[in-house]
Amino acid sequence: MSRSPQALLERRYARLGLLLIAPTIVVFCAVIVYPLLAAIYLSLFQLYTPTLEGSFVGISNYRDLLARGEFWISLRNTLVWTVGTLSLQIVLGIGMALMLHQAVWFRSLARSLILFPYFVSTVVAVLVWRWLFNDLYGILNHMLIGSGVVDMPVDYLGSMPNAMISMILVGAWKYFPFVVIAVLARLQTIPDALYEAARIDGAGPIARFFDVTLPQLRDVLVVIILLRAIWDFKEFDLIFLLTGGGPVISTQTLPLLVYKEAFALNQMGMAAAYAVVMMAIMLVFMIVYIRQTREKEAS
Amino acid sequence: MMRRLLFNLMVWSAVLIVAFPLFWMVVTSLKPQLELWARPPAFLPIEPTVEHYVTLLQDTNFLVYFRNSIFLSTATTLVVIGVATLGAYSLVRFTYRGRESLAMLVLFTYLLPSVVLILPLYLMMVKLGLANTLFSLVLAYTTFALPYALWLLRSFMAGIPEDLESAALVDGASRMGAFRDVIFPQLLPGIISTALFTFILSWNEYLFALVLVNSDASRPLTTGVMNMLISSFNIEWSLLMAASVMMSVPLIIAFAFLQKYLTRGFGAGAVKG
Repeated sequence: MSRSPQALLERRYARLGLLLIAPTIVVFCAVIVYPLLAAIYLSLFQLYTPTLEGSFVGISNYRDLLARGEFWISLRNTLVWTVGTLSLQIVLGIGMALMLHQAVWFRSLARSLILFPYFVSTVVAVLVWRWLFNDLYGILNHMLIGSGVVDMPVDYLGSMPNAMISMILVGAWKYFPFVVIAVLARLQTIPDALYEAARIDGAGPIARFFDVTLPQLRDVLVVIILLRAIWDFKEFDLIFLLTGGGPVISTQTLPLLVYKEAFALNQMGMAAAYAVVMMAIMLVFMIVYIRQTREKEAS
Repeated sequence: MMRRLLFNLMVWSAVLIVAFPLFWMVVTSLKPQLELWARPPAFLPIEPTVEHYVTLLQDTNFLVYFRNSIFLSTATTLVVIGVATLGAYSLVRFTYRGRESLAMLVLFTYLLPSVVLILPLYLMMVKLGLANTLFSLVLAYTTFALPYALWLLRSFMAGIPEDLESAALVDGASRMGAFRDVIFPQLLPGIISTALFTFILSWNEYLFALVLVNSDASRPLTTGVMNMLISSFNIEWSLLMAASVMMSVPLIIAFAFLQKYLTRGFGAGAVKG
């Protein structure tokens, strides 16, 4: 047995460390771990939301859900939305970051303006866009008709595929600043010598982008894409407020389906089953991301 | 010179297109009702008016919602920063079993969808009799704010040289003494960034507020303003735009005075390339 003062001190430190993390663990268990397990447990019941009465039904919720067309439609919508808005965010984000990396007049003002949509509340963003999209008095329709692109007012949110496209565009507008900032931070750390060498080799601006910039951005882009894919996949506010899943269920994604099942159709158990399945799908991305982070920390 | 001018024009037109919806929000909020229906719409209000702001503050529940949001975001931020600062210190500077797994659990919860947690949380709040209170929202907001703050503070903490703390310990300070006198001052900018982000996250939250609170007395701004849209018979867009501008005021203040902390938080967050 080692009873050296060193070992004693280390034991004391370990105890202090646990004491400091204790509040975190308590809160985590109460509001995250317990609800998470409770959600899985709930999914095995048929439960009527207002009275919270119901009965154990085992895995039949899951069997029902996989047989329902609505689940598969919502899953497809979620994927269309995620892939669509994410690709736009990445392309616009890299483009804007490359532009703002150059010497531009009033650069810091430009950066603030770009950052604003990301920080503004989704409620505000949606209200503004619904006003822009307004069929009769909205500025967008006015400009489109005025410039002769269309002759009839466009119904942006009430018909398909317009509603999905509008949603993807608003999502890209709201979230691409995240990509801009992350890419911009990385661009600043690329050594000038790399560009110098490429220039001496006779590479033009486009070749320099593909041969120097893009490979350097690779790592940060992987992280950004994983994170944004996870966040876009679980997006609720923007879609719920902008289209509410409509017309009918054409833009209804999985988070909206969970909400509808629990609080509009009052089927809490079924909603929990949807939520668990949704989480299982997300888990793939989450594990990849967590692994990525752990590897980076180890190195 | 010509190329530079063209490049600047291009960049600034892109920036202005992105910023246009926000510009339009301010313009609409200042237009008298009649000008709203003018075709073509004027790009600047012909007779600017603040009547919608007056209506908003006098005839609606806006101020109640605003007060609720301030209370809610402040309370969430204080609780979360307090817990997370100690937690991050423990996760970075102490060694005990399970520390690494704990860090990964934090990251996992940071990515977790709220929509999964909300069903049991709703049941929990109903059972505890906390539904429709601001307190239930503070509790619910820790589910996303605490993992977020912990993760951010953890990376700020990792950036502080370990030697500083060792030196203090050699000089006879206790761990907590060293934390107070050496670590905390170094961490302060990181704490400010994290607090700012936590505040903004709570200020903007919608889903929990929608599900957990159903009375005007304890509604925050997000659901409150949205309710003004749904419950009004004909939509008064200038009033809603005025509400949107007012709702963004804390954000504008943060942008004007604390931008340094805002961008620093971004860099230290999940995307540390």
